[in-house]
Amino acid sequence: MVVRQYNEEMSYLEKTSAFSWKIKKGFQPNMNVEGVFYVNQHLEKLMLDELRNACRPGMIGGFLPGVKQIANVAALPGIVGRSVGLPDVHSGYGFAIGNMAAFDMSDPTSVVSPGGVGFDINCGVRLLRTNLTEKDVLPVKEQLAQSMFDHIPVGVGSKGIIPMNARDLEEALEMGMDWSLREGYVWAEDKEHCEEYGRMLNADPSKVSMRAKKRGLPQLGTLGAGNHYAEIQVVDEIYDKWAASKMGIESKGQICVMIHSGSRGFGHQVATDALVEMEKAMKRDKIETNDRQLACARINSVEGQNYLKSMAAAANFAWVNRSSMTFLSRQAFAKQFNMTPDDLDMHVIYDVSHNIAKVEEHMVDGKLKTLLVHRKGSTRAFPPHHPLIPVDYQLTGQPVLIGGTMGTCSYVLTGTETGMKETFGSTCHGAGRALSRAKSRRNLDYTQVLQKLESQGISIRVASPKLVMEEAPESYKNVTDVVDTCDAVGISKKAIKLRPIAVIKG
Amino acid sequence: MGEIKEEDWHLPEIKYEYLDHTADMQIHSWGNTVEEAFEQCANGMFGCMTDTDYIEMAETQEIEAEGHDMLSLLFHFLDEFLFLFSAEPYFVAKKVEILEFDKEQFRIKARGFGEQFIIGKHPQRHEVKAITYSNMQVNQTEDGLTHIHVIVDI
Repeated sequence: MVVRQYNEEMSYLEKTSAFSWKIKKGFQPNMNVEGVFYVNQHLEKLMLDELRNACRPGMIGGFLPGVKQIANVAALPGIVGRSVGLPDVHSGYGFAIGNMAAFDMSDPTSVVSPGGVGFDINCGVRLLRTNLTEKDVLPVKEQLAQSMFDHIPVGVGSKGIIPMNARDLEEALEMGMDWSLREGYVWAEDKEHCEEYGRMLNADPSKVSMRAKKRGLPQLGTLGAGNHYAEIQVVDEIYDKWAASKMGIESKGQICVMIHSGSRGFGHQVATDALVEMEKAMKRDKIETNDRQLACARINSVEGQNYLKSMAAAANFAWVNRSSMTFLSRQAFAKQFNMTPDDLDMHVIYDVSHNIAKVEEHMVDGKLKTLLVHRKGSTRAFPPHHPLIPVDYQLTGQPVLIGGTMGTCSYVLTGTETGMKETFGSTCHGAGRALSRAKSRRNLDYTQVLQKLESQGISIRVASPKLVMEEAPESYKNVTDVVDTCDAVGISKKAIKLRPIAVIKG
Repeated sequence: MGEIKEEDWHLPEIKYEYLDHTADMQIHSWGNTVEEAFEQCANGMFGCMTDTDYIEMAETQEIEAEGHDMLSLLFHFLDEFLFLFSAEPYFVAKKVEILEFDKEQFRIKARGFGEQFIIGKHPQRHEVKAITYSNMQVNQTEDGLTHIHVIVDI
């Protein structure tokens, strides 16, 4: 890392509009393109404070600030356009979290980086609607929260209850949601409302280590821990009535279910295996990066291809995982209200991935190019009329699901033409951490956090109550700031705001 | 699996702590020898996952790890124990003991004393997703102590 005074560092950053900053070449060595990040006033302060802290004399390399990581990504071979930091950006492993970068597939030196996807491959959010209203749910809220908690395995060490053997797993890895459909866990129309229709076709389970499969098998159909959750939410505000109605959201007070989870131990192991492999490939192909954590391999190399095939298998695992929990949520609601999920109109509104790399076509300098787009803590947000979004959303743009943190609001946005031009059709993914876990533990008390949720009328069921302060809203950036910034920049548009009434988490 | 002997019931003093990190968990462990610092680091990792006070030493599990330098050895050493926890036998250790440590060939044999993780018996804490090389350090200080820093992704 180049060590300079804060003032000197700032000379490489330029505020180009009320909500965007440019990171000029030279901020980090060998930058092939410039960087950009989008922030409002509050988020700007957090971002620059992080940089200022890192510039303090005597700082023993704790971790790189997000803005430095965006610049290091801009130095990777084959990157085109700009390395983009979304409003929820914060320091991560190699890439910042809330970072997107696109690499030219026709350039033989272009790379794929597991750090640009993250350990939790195809971590994402799914939103189900119901035809219930807050009035219907409030009297049975506690029972419903308990029932969801009883149905969905949560927290570290929990095991899935969907029957699975090694052969089922192989098939699920290859087929994604087609497997869930065949086994009767989801409805055919669920697939339509899912990125890639819930199945990445290039998945190759034979490229995945035994170790990953062994970790994955017991965890299929489990929520996980950390910031993962299942929430019962209420429509709190509708900004775009027409888009909302296309999603089956008619009025305030309507009840939805949000599921935030990923590929569990399976994806974590696929990422770990790839990082070990790529370290070797980097030496062989003499790929130099600014940060050892940015392990990568040429897209066309054996290691690059193996990663993309096993990443796709992990993506399929994640969709099957969210589908299994969709099934369990529908069961919980059906039992509580003594109606079928069909009669409760529990359709999937949409399912987004916010940790993934995908091959997409974009315009670069007026030419159509095939790119490998890495989105880490960033959500795809395609505009209206894009061929890859389902018929139902052709006119509204792709629904983008932004999960809040425990006790805060969540949002549904829609993709825009501006986003397509500015950020390769990408937007934010959530709140983004602001406080370290240790700091949250020191500053907050778990009983207070739980009491506050209760006073807000939010039921909570959590596997590790003594750790809830780490996930408290105070530990995160304000999701409303993040979403408003995306809306103001125009990279996605606000459609619906949701507020939680029950949280189930690890 | 080996027998648990009389002397194995002795529990070592805790020589690890968790340091500030925005999204993840940094484990700092130390010891009079590299072996001790490694053992403590693994204990620290199990401490992330559950409250080790609740673990009974009912069985032992052995792992072997190798690397091409000290850091990769540490990585694989921890990764082996993470794997023991994440899949069959879902093992959590109350303490880890190094049996053999080859500092030239970078090989380790180690044994964990503990039992199968059971929800309801063992409090659920963090889910360690992966061991990372992020700012990983194995240092010797002037007082002869070995210090280890590892960030685990949670």
